[in-house]
Amino acid sequence: MTEILQQIINGIAIGGVYVLIALGLTIVFGILGIAHFAHGSVSMFGGYLTFFLVVQQGLPLVLAIAIALVTGMVLGVLIELLAYRPLRNANHINAFIVALGLTMMVEGANLQFFGAEQIVIPTNASRVFDIGGLTLPELRLYVILGAAVLIAAMTIFVEETKTGQAIRAVAENRDAAILMGINVQMIPLVVFAISTALGVAAGVMVGSLFAIAPGVGEGLVVKGFAVLILGGLGSIPGAVVGGIVLGVTEALAAGFISSAYKDVIAFIVMIAVLLLRPQGLMGRA
Amino acid sequence: MLEIRDLRTGYGPIEVVHGIDLDVREGECVALIGANGAGKSSTLKTVCGLLPARSGQIRFDGQDITNRKGHAIVQAGITMCPEGRQVFPGMTVMQNLRLGAYARKGADLDWMLDMFPILRERANQAAGTLSGGEQEMLAIARALMSQPRLCIFDEPSLGLAPKIVAEVAQTIASIKAMGMTILLVEQNSLMALRLADRAYLFEAGEIVLEGTGAELQTHPEVVKAYLGH
Ligand SMILES: Nc1ncnc2c1ncn2[C@@H]1O[C@H](COP(=O)(O)OP(=O)(O)OP(=O)(O)O)[C@@H](O)[C@H]1O
Ligand SMILES: [Mg+2]
Repeated sequence: MTEILQQIINGIAIGGVYVLIALGLTIVFGILGIAHFAHGSVSMFGGYLTFFLVVQQGLPLVLAIAIALVTGMVLGVLIELLAYRPLRNANHINAFIVALGLTMMVEGANLQFFGAEQIVIPTNASRVFDIGGLTLPELRLYVILGAAVLIAAMTIFVEETKTGQAIRAVAENRDAAILMGINVQMIPLVVFAISTALGVAAGVMVGSLFAIAPGVGEGLVVKGFAVLILGGLGSIPGAVVGGIVLGVTEALAAGFISSAYKDVIAFIVMIAVLLLRPQGLMGRA
Repeated sequence: MLEIRDLRTGYGPIEVVHGIDLDVREGECVALIGANGAGKSSTLKTVCGLLPARSGQIRFDGQDITNRKGHAIVQAGITMCPEGRQVFPGMTVMQNLRLGAYARKGADLDWMLDMFPILRERANQAAGTLSGGEQEMLAIARALMSQPRLCIFDEPSLGLAPKIVAEVAQTIASIKAMGMTILLVEQNSLMALRLADRAYLFEAGEIVLEGTGAELQTHPEVVKAYLGH
C-alpha cells in the first residue's frame, strides 16, 4: 500500500509537468486548430536558457526562471506572428508541415546554442520529507506546488478575466466572437504567450527534476498530445485530468512492471483511448 | 444612420451581392426580405466586417466603415444577432451575456435579466443546453448587451415553433419601442413586414423593390411570391 502511494506521489510530480505541456497545446489547438509540435522543443529551450543563466551567468535560480518565462512569451508571440499567422487561411496540412519544420529548427537551435550534452539545472532543494513512511523529496514538492499554482492561475484567468473569456469565445465560435467586439487578431498572440510560458515552466521542471538533452522535448510533446487525446481536445479540465492520469499510470508501471515499459504506457493509453473514444480526437475539427 | 452605396460582395471567385443601395435612418426598423440564397446574410456580414466588401461604400453616422475590422464596427455602435443564433455553447448564459458587453466598460446584467426572465432562470446553465427559443432570446439579449445604436437581426425566427416565433416578434417590437434602430432579415416575410417601417425585397443579389412595410405587404409581387395567398 505504501509502495502504491509512493508511486502515486511520484506520478503526480511528473503528471504536473505533462499537464503544463498539455495545457499549452490545448489552448493553441482550441484557438487555431493547429497541432503545435514545436511546443516541446520550445519548452526545453526555456529549460536550457535557465540552466545557462544559472550555471554560466551565475544568476539566482528565481531570476533565471523569470527571464526564461518572459523570453518564452516573446518567443511564443514571434512563432505565432511569423510561422503560423501567414497560414491562417491556408490548408491545414500547411500548418502541419510548418509545425514539423519549426520543431526541427528549434531542436537545431537548442543543439547549436546549448550543445548535445545532457544538462541538469542545479537547485538547493535537496531535503527529503518523510510523511508517514512516504518520502517526498523537496524538489518534487516544489514541482507539484508550482504546477498546481500555474493550473489554478490558468483556470482563474480563463474563467474570471475578460481576456480569458474572449479566448474561450474565439475557440467556440470565431465569427460570433468578432460580433462581440473581440479583436480576434490579438487573441492568438496572448494564447501563444501563455502557452509558451507554461511550456517553459515545464521545461524548467524537467531540467531540474530529471535532465534535458536533445530529443527530450520531442518526446514530451508526444506525451502532451497523448494527454490531449486522453482528456479531450481543447479541454482545459481534460488536460489536467489527463496529465495526472498519464503521470500516475507511468509511475505505477515503472514501479510495478518495469521502468523500461514506462514510455510505452503513454502510447498504449493513446491507442486505447482512440479505439474507445475516437470522437475525442474528432471533437473539434 | 446606415448608408450602403453600390455594395458588392462575395465568396472566392463568386460575387453574390451585385451593387446594392440601402438606407436605415435613425429610429427606423428596416426589413430585408427575399428567397434563400438571395444575399441577405452576405450583406449583413459585410456591414459587420465578417465578409470583405469588393466595392462600394458603407457609412455609419456619416463615417466610412467599409472593410473596417469587425471589432471596430462593434465599437462604432453596430451589433448583430447572427443567423442560427451562434451562442457560445460551452459557456453559461451569464458568460454569454458578459461577452455581449465585451466592447464596453461595465455590464448591466440585471436590466437584461429583467427583460428576459427566462435567462435569469437559466443563468448558470451552459448555453448549448438551452432550447432553440431560449437560445434565440439569449442571442438577442447578448446583442443588446453592447448597447448598440444599430441592432441587426438575421433570421431570428429560423427553426422556431410558431408560438416562439410570435414571442420573438414581440421582443423585437419592444426593442423597437425602446427607440432602437433595427435592420431585420427574415424568411418569415409577414412578420418582418409587420414590424418594419420600411422594407427591401432582395432577389439574386439585387434589390428589386423598396417601400414601406405596409406597401410591400400588399404589393402583388410580394404577396404572390412571399406571403403565399
Ligand atoms: N461561406 C460561403 N461560401 C461560399 N458561398 C456562400 C457562403 N455563404 C453563402 N454563400 C452563397 O452566397 C449566396 C448568398 O447567400 P446568403 O447566405 O447571403 O443568402 P441569404 O439571402 O441570407 O439566404 P438564406 O435565406 O438562406 O439565409 C448563396 O448563393 C450562398 O450559396
Ligand atoms: Mg441568410
